[in-house]
Amino acid sequence: MSAGPDPDVDAGLDAAVEVDRGRFRLELDIQAGPGEIVGVLGPNGAGKTTLLRTLAGLLPLSGGYVRLSGAVLDDPAAGVYLDPPRRRVGVVFQDYRLFPRMRVLDNVAFGPRSRGVARTAARHSAQQWLDRLGVGQLARRRPGQLSGGQAQRVALARALAAEPRLLLLDEPLAALDARTRATVQGELREHLAEFAGPTLLVTHDPLEALLLADRIVVLESGRIVQQGSPHDIAARPATDYVATLVGVNLYAGVAAGGRVELDDGGTIVIGDTALTGRTLVAVRPSAITVYTSRPDPGSARNLWPGRIDALAPLGDRIRLSVSGSPGALVDVTPPAVAELGLARGRDVWLATKATEVDAYPDQG
Amino acid sequence: MTARRRAGAGVPVLLVPPAAIGAAFLLLPTIALLIRMPWSGLRGLYANSDVSSALTLSLQTATAATVVSLLFGVPLAWMLARLRIRGLGVIRAAVTMPLVLPPVVGGVALFLALGRFGVLGRYLDQWFGFTLPFTKYGVVAAETFVAMPFLVITAEGAFRVADRGLEEAAATLGASRLAVFWRVTLPGIGPSLVAGTVLCWARALGEFGATITFNGSLAGKTEVMPIAISKALETNPDQAEALSLVLIAIALVILAALREQWLRPAVSP
Repeated sequence: MSAGPDPDVDAGLDAAVEVDRGRFRLELDIQAGPGEIVGVLGPNGAGKTTLLRTLAGLLPLSGGYVRLSGAVLDDPAAGVYLDPPRRRVGVVFQDYRLFPRMRVLDNVAFGPRSRGVARTAARHSAQQWLDRLGVGQLARRRPGQLSGGQAQRVALARALAAEPRLLLLDEPLAALDARTRATVQGELREHLAEFAGPTLLVTHDPLEALLLADRIVVLESGRIVQQGSPHDIAARPATDYVATLVGVNLYAGVAAGGRVELDDGGTIVIGDTALTGRTLVAVRPSAITVYTSRPDPGSARNLWPGRIDALAPLGDRIRLSVSGSPGALVDVTPPAVAELGLARGRDVWLATKATEVDAYPDQG
Repeated sequence: MTARRRAGAGVPVLLVPPAAIGAAFLLLPTIALLIRMPWSGLRGLYANSDVSSALTLSLQTATAATVVSLLFGVPLAWMLARLRIRGLGVIRAAVTMPLVLPPVVGGVALFLALGRFGVLGRYLDQWFGFTLPFTKYGVVAAETFVAMPFLVITAEGAFRVADRGLEEAAATLGASRLAVFWRVTLPGIGPSLVAGTVLCWARALGEFGATITFNGSLAGKTEVMPIAISKALETNPDQAEALSLVLIAIALVILAALREQWLRPAVSP
């Protein structure tokens, strides 16, 4: 696809994952270099957790292989399968899974203890990890006495204390309330940056992926539909799912001579006259202008009528959902809503410049 | 307000008499025992050497049977809860058989298996010169046979509902299967294990039928409390009552210890 695998895959993760589970099939190639944070983004049921479980060894592959730091962890064709304790793959589970009857310190010391480190040394190392993650003062507590943000940090400390060669995070922020998320998110980015191995972060929250990951892989129905830098994904979504996630209007159609005939009706004028064939057109909601009556033709090359279906506040803006050919999400300021008298059911005209429209080949 | 409260209570009146009779029936024998107890002569009765030897033997054998049940029953419970093997259901039914088998029949079956000429017992005799029946060890065997299923079914249920997620987390942290079992699974079923162990011990302590069938009643050797009580009732009823009081006291201690498990109405055992 667009972003190639990391050249240094020998020292990182290189996997071709095939899993058959009845009606669901997961089939994808994924690589992650040392120190790289790959965000796996997808809707519920896309296969994100299945992918994570196969890499951790909690679910055997049906086909393909998993290689980590040059060692084969799973390869059904070759009859190789390493069980989880022998993989050194750290997992931070969505529900953290801290051992409820152990103190925080012993939770974190569990990994080193399991690998044969003496009790005192393991506890010493556990305390260091807790200190590093800023939760050293919680060492004597039980998991039940921790807040969500604290439990998240302890879970990360526990995974890192086992000195994994690959770190897997399953929806690391999903269990936190909105206020905690913001702080934990910033800290998490710092801590992940210190981890030398590859990190895979599985999430259905685009913001989480965009903010934490170096590279994003979008998973739908068990397959990769797009991968690239967070910027690429946000600016040029490949599917409706991604477009909805990042809040961009996405239209599919056929381009010829600087115009795209859209599949669902309507035409969009684009700047690029050289583009032909199957094309995706992305238009940011803030790049569309709303008029209450048909304006004189100006510099905007695209002008079409529509009707307002819904208005919803979104941060400091109001997001309009407008039906028409094509339908669009449009962002306007609250004063504009008042001045223009925008309301549900109101007929409006939409306009956007060809230069504000991003058109690119549809590779699906 | 009154009407609403009555509707909220919602007790069908017809259920009250049988419920009251049932409760009375279960409580009356214990109350009768306490009323008729020869309180003034108790000290003399307990000084009797037969009584103290029966009590000592009972506590020893019941505890030994519980230890044996833990050693073999907990791994068995784990297998029954976690393995996916054809025919496991049959094994589960078979190992819980002693729960429904009349204890006397259990004693006969034990005799056929472990007696001097039994299926396995004859080799114990031939190779080691060791016979189980009519010994302390025979008592432990009979008690284990009857009591272990209580531990097995309690622990199996707990293993079945234990949080597998924690076991997975432990495995990713490098713990071997045995370490996961020992450090995560077993502590996780702690409360159920305690309840099962106490149940097992209480059942072993009260065991009569299988024990007397398999081991007879040799004073100081195989005559445990329930057998001693049964014999005393024919010759010295006061002593039978005094011995019963000891078992009632033990039962009360067990109830107090397990109140968390049983005395809360919403919690199933």
